[in-house]
Amino acid sequence: MESNAQKLRGLTITSLDEEDDEPELPHRSPPASGGGGGDGAGYEDDDEEEEEEAEVTLGFLEKPKHPGLLLRHLFPSKAGGIPAWLDPVNLPSGNSRCCGFCGEPLQFVLQIYAPIEDNAASFHRTLFMFMCPSMACLLRDQHDQWKHRQGNPCRSVKVFRCQLPRSNAFYSSEPPKHNDSDKPLCPGAPVCHWCGTWKGDKICSSCKKARYCSEKHQTLHWRSGHKSDCLQLISSSEASSSIFPAVGKVPASKSWPEYEIAIDYEGAFDSDSCDESNSKSLVMQRPGKPDDMMQSWMDQFEADADNKCWASFQERVSRAPKQVLRYCREENAKPLWALSAGCPSNADIPSCSYCRGPLCYEFQIMPQLLYYFGVKNEPDSLDWATIVVYTCKGSCDQNVSYKEEFAWVQLYPTTTTRS
Amino acid sequence: MTNVEGSKADEDGDEVGEEGHAGSLCSIVADVKEPEADEVDNDGIEAGRAQGDGVAEDSNEVSGESDDENNGGDNEGVLMTEAGECVRDAEEEEKWVPVTKLGRLVKENKIRKIEEIYLHSLPVKEHQIVEQLVPGLKDEVMKITPVQKQTRAGQRTRFKAFVVVGDGDGHVGLGVKCAKEVATAIRGAIILAKLSVVPVRRGYWGNKIGKPHTVPCKVTGKCGSVTVRMVPAPRGSGIVAARVPKKVLQFAGIEDVFTSSRGSTKTLGNFVKATFDCLMKTYGFLTPDFWRETRFIKTPFQEYTDLLARPKGLVIEAPAEKIEA
Repeated sequence: MESNAQKLRGLTITSLDEEDDEPELPHRSPPASGGGGGDGAGYEDDDEEEEEEAEVTLGFLEKPKHPGLLLRHLFPSKAGGIPAWLDPVNLPSGNSRCCGFCGEPLQFVLQIYAPIEDNAASFHRTLFMFMCPSMACLLRDQHDQWKHRQGNPCRSVKVFRCQLPRSNAFYSSEPPKHNDSDKPLCPGAPVCHWCGTWKGDKICSSCKKARYCSEKHQTLHWRSGHKSDCLQLISSSEASSSIFPAVGKVPASKSWPEYEIAIDYEGAFDSDSCDESNSKSLVMQRPGKPDDMMQSWMDQFEADADNKCWASFQERVSRAPKQVLRYCREENAKPLWALSAGCPSNADIPSCSYCRGPLCYEFQIMPQLLYYFGVKNEPDSLDWATIVVYTCKGSCDQNVSYKEEFAWVQLYPTTTTRS
Repeated sequence: MTNVEGSKADEDGDEVGEEGHAGSLCSIVADVKEPEADEVDNDGIEAGRAQGDGVAEDSNEVSGESDDENNGGDNEGVLMTEAGECVRDAEEEEKWVPVTKLGRLVKENKIRKIEEIYLHSLPVKEHQIVEQLVPGLKDEVMKITPVQKQTRAGQRTRFKAFVVVGDGDGHVGLGVKCAKEVATAIRGAIILAKLSVVPVRRGYWGNKIGKPHTVPCKVTGKCGSVTVRMVPAPRGSGIVAARVPKKVLQFAGIEDVFTSSRGSTKTLGNFVKATFDCLMKTYGFLTPDFWRETRFIKTPFQEYTDLLARPKGLVIEAPAEKIEA
């Protein structure tokens, strides 16, 4: 950056006008380029919070080297496709796996493997996120999430947390060797043949081999091919596996394309460290004498709260534009909001429904995920600004294997205005 | 800076004077922000045409290497090309992953012209949208002012950059950014300017032959105490204005105009904004061409409603600015 600084020193800051209203400096070269970031000793930074920011981990999508890498005994973090359930037997059931508004079973978005170091009960810990692919349900969800205090609200975005201690019935206590010889200790429960996501506890009454999680999926599968296969299956006893998808393969329905989530630290992308609080400088600090004319003009072009928030969001995201996930479980972690409207206050975030303890921010998903999923851009297709997930701070361990956590949806305003 | 005075328009509306606008500032800009060098300079020619100091050579080099990077890191489509290999380090800067729905629509070329966005007054939140839809955008730094704030330990100086962007054919934008470093301020101002690109309506002074060359009617814009009035001028008059608005008008693609200003025009901020405001109003002025009843078409975000179900073909209401009835 030295050559840049030299060129900038040679830059003559000429004003096109003779004098200016602002308290302008006499022609002085700009401060040394290093002075931008390391303000440390000299300057008082009372307006710009240079607080210690928590280290944020970013998630990026990659195509897996081969699909066998994303099976559950390798504890993957993945997006799209079908979930690799951590606890393969006690899957979520009943209403918790359906959208609260339309009743359709939810579709798998992503899962992240996020164990907690000092907690023995969460040696293995995975968070699963599911969502209804209908935008109408998401709009209602965003509306209803403010009402969490009135009993259990209906949601269309659900996050499940599952954790296991090191020695458990499903996986060996040794870490996986990643040499194609790893196997889970016991097979999992059968899953629905249509979505491949939820437990298939209902059986097709004629052939007794096809399994479904709900009537809706049974109807869909029947219409799209099972009708012809069913009779065949009744007669043939084996060879059923040839018709039904094998474990881990994509099932009959259209799930979102499958990716692996690769992790990187945000700090690795800091190109210009002296660039922080770019966004705050959108609003010019008042010069010595307040200038109403300039101020009114500034307001037009620079900041209102929403724009400021969006600008800082853009700036943060632009360091790593392909990120789809931001993860930070530390104490002082704050989610990156895209808009200033639609943010929850502390009162809006409920407590853990199992242990009554507080929830803390854990991760958020970004709209780039929609681009990678290839979501269409029709007026009624999915769109969000960000979805932030709050999980139990103590990562409580209760009877239920998959515990529901709290997700907060923030949408862009254009999607909510319909004429 | 060369060719500051308004150039005579050629038959095809080609503005020679405008391309020499870059000057040394733009070259520096191209130097410090490598990834966007290909937006700033359309080709290496631009940098070469700037004054031949050492700076220009550097920027030549830079735009050359960023071009290579662009060609190499040319990822089509959604998926990462190399299986399993993260491409996020090398082509990070070039590939744009849209964050908004409008961005996704633009990226997959469902929206071809920026006029479709203007038609529905959709807010543009990503500057890459404008870059993709208005390819010939050039920018110029109008002024860089140091501004100061008093702190306990002395003065905290920051730099405020005013940038005007335009394609010389009916689109201009204005951006202001304040930052601790000049380069950052310029970069941020360029982004803000791109976000604020508006269409400019041009018309005729007299006979409607050839392309429109002047403002369609007398318009005036005001900011603070500065008012700028623009009056249609016959072909060949050139832009009769002060240095500051002349630049903006050149970027807008207006070839001939008479202007008159009032107020404290030495305040560059207000002067530029008043001119910009004036240009914004050209499309707001109701003329007899617009008397026909508007037939609405649906926005990309709106569901098809009964209102739009007309038996006749839908008419796009973006008025043709070239030839007017």
